[in-house]
Amino acid sequence: MVYTVKSSALLIIGIIMLAWAGLNSSGAIDGIQSYLLASDYKDHTKVMKKYEAQLKEATDKAAAEGKAAPEMKMPASKFDHAKATQSTMSNYFGAFFVLIGLFTLAWKPKPGNLDYFVSVVPGIAYILLIAFIVRWGLDPIFGNWGKAAEPALGWNFAKIFNLNYVVIGIVIGIIAVNVFRIPAWAANGVRTARFFLKTGVILLGTLYSAAELAQLGALSVVMIGIFVLGSVWMVLFMGKRMGTPNSMTAVLSAGMGVCGVSATVAASPVVQAKAEEIAYTIGTILIWGVGCMFVFPTIGHLLHMGPVQFGAWAGTGILNSAQVAGAALAFDPRNIETLKVAEIFNITRVLFLPIIVLWLAAWYVKHEEGAQKVNLTQVLVAKFPVFVLGFIAMFALSSMGVFAPAGHYKGKYFSSAEIKEDKLLKSGEASALQGELDRLRGAEGSQALSKYLTESHVTLGKRNVTSDDVYTSLTELVANRKIMTREEDSVLESLAKMDGIDKAAKEAISTAHDAAYHTSKSIKSYRNWIAWLFAFGLIGLGMQITGKALKQAGGAPLVIGGVVGTVKAVGSLVVVMLFVKEFI
Amino acid sequence: MAEQKFDRGTSLSIFVSDRREDITALIFAFIIAFGVLFTS
Repeated sequence: MVYTVKSSALLIIGIIMLAWAGLNSSGAIDGIQSYLLASDYKDHTKVMKKYEAQLKEATDKAAAEGKAAPEMKMPASKFDHAKATQSTMSNYFGAFFVLIGLFTLAWKPKPGNLDYFVSVVPGIAYILLIAFIVRWGLDPIFGNWGKAAEPALGWNFAKIFNLNYVVIGIVIGIIAVNVFRIPAWAANGVRTARFFLKTGVILLGTLYSAAELAQLGALSVVMIGIFVLGSVWMVLFMGKRMGTPNSMTAVLSAGMGVCGVSATVAASPVVQAKAEEIAYTIGTILIWGVGCMFVFPTIGHLLHMGPVQFGAWAGTGILNSAQVAGAALAFDPRNIETLKVAEIFNITRVLFLPIIVLWLAAWYVKHEEGAQKVNLTQVLVAKFPVFVLGFIAMFALSSMGVFAPAGHYKGKYFSSAEIKEDKLLKSGEASALQGELDRLRGAEGSQALSKYLTESHVTLGKRNVTSDDVYTSLTELVANRKIMTREEDSVLESLAKMDGIDKAAKEAISTAHDAAYHTSKSIKSYRNWIAWLFAFGLIGLGMQITGKALKQAGGAPLVIGGVVGTVKAVGSLVVVMLFVKEFI
Repeated sequence: MAEQKFDRGTSLSIFVSDRREDITALIFAFIIAFGVLFTS
């Protein structure tokens, strides 16, 4: 069989990419890019204003001294870096596709390895071109629309409906196959989607670290553990009872149990889920989450829940990270205490992903072998998806601090030693903090502080935070002009939320907090790689979802998702109402 | 897509087996991970 299809499509895709690179480098499309890269462009205008002021000052100074105007170059902004990245990627891929495109047109293919692997390239180019459009075009456009509509709606629809490259990618893939069909020249390359998705899942392990678990309260670990494992078990049980395929049941259990979309994507190759099963699961989770986002805050207010209680409930009962944040902010828009608690519970849930992936791998292998008695060890050795071990290995390496300092979460880590001189607090900020320290040491201030710490249940690990902790942390911050330890950071963060704290002091604490947290360059890079691999893989997966296949999947997943989601939401509400107030 | 017939791999993969796809993905991921680590 000859796989290579003679077509000029690959050459055209290569030329389009080279043209995009050229337009970006020349600055001809800066107007469009300033809209698409809106936040980077804000940085660009700041850098430009600063540069112009410096240039004017230097020119005026040179003129006063009778010298020639100095030559200065504007430093590169985030906008310049983002454009450069697009140009570099488009250039490399464009040149490669043009070369292979010309070769394909000139060459007479014969069956064999060369034909097989050359025929994969047009399909990769086809998906990559769509991925460029999704990540550089549609994703930021929906992001901008979401922000623009926020004042009118009161919430960001793009965030809440998850209209990011993950969902857009799948939808575009579905449209491509159902409306336009996959062209014959791209058919072989589209089959690489799952491979790139698996690579992305392995790299996902680099983003998490086991040390982060140590920072979480025991209650969140126990509560999330029970509900995550309970939901996974319940979906597996119901799926068996209702006769849904094992792959569908398993992928739905990951989505309903752990953290929505990313868990679904991570578990899908483990259980060999079909593309339409992934789409069904993601759809069920998102629809369920949107409903919860509106219902949870109302119930929270009706039951007079406190911020800790509501945060714990939302972080446990809602499946998607953006929807958890949305519900927490809808419940309490002014105070971030609810959001912080919800995020702690959310992070705990995400950290259960490696355990669930292993469980599902073993469950799937066992159940796919049929009713006959099998030696589980032998079957596991023969069928266990090896890439899951890669994910676990990356998670272990990440926890050991190979990719970023141990204890990081998604690349963010605390380090006092790495704070640069220009990030230290300015004298005005230190004076504001000193003023606040003196006030809190006074009779009235100390009484208010003590009352706040007791009523808000501010804790540090297992013990309650005392007024002395606050005085020591503030004194250290004023003396060193930076936060020295993670504990002090935690104490100061709690203090900043107290009513009556001076605005300048609050801002100084926030500045010191931001300066103490750093983002690992390598993790930032991994995130970028993962985003591209997922975008590519999901567009390719979307291309395998036909209308006929969706009809065949039936409505059982929606029923199971709805039942398990309701049980989880009600169960976690009962646990929160009974125990959370006393434990946190 | 699903109607396409291939005499190598499956309708979902260009690799002859899942194990081979997994191992290739594993090697590729480690190349990326350590490549990024040593160049950043």
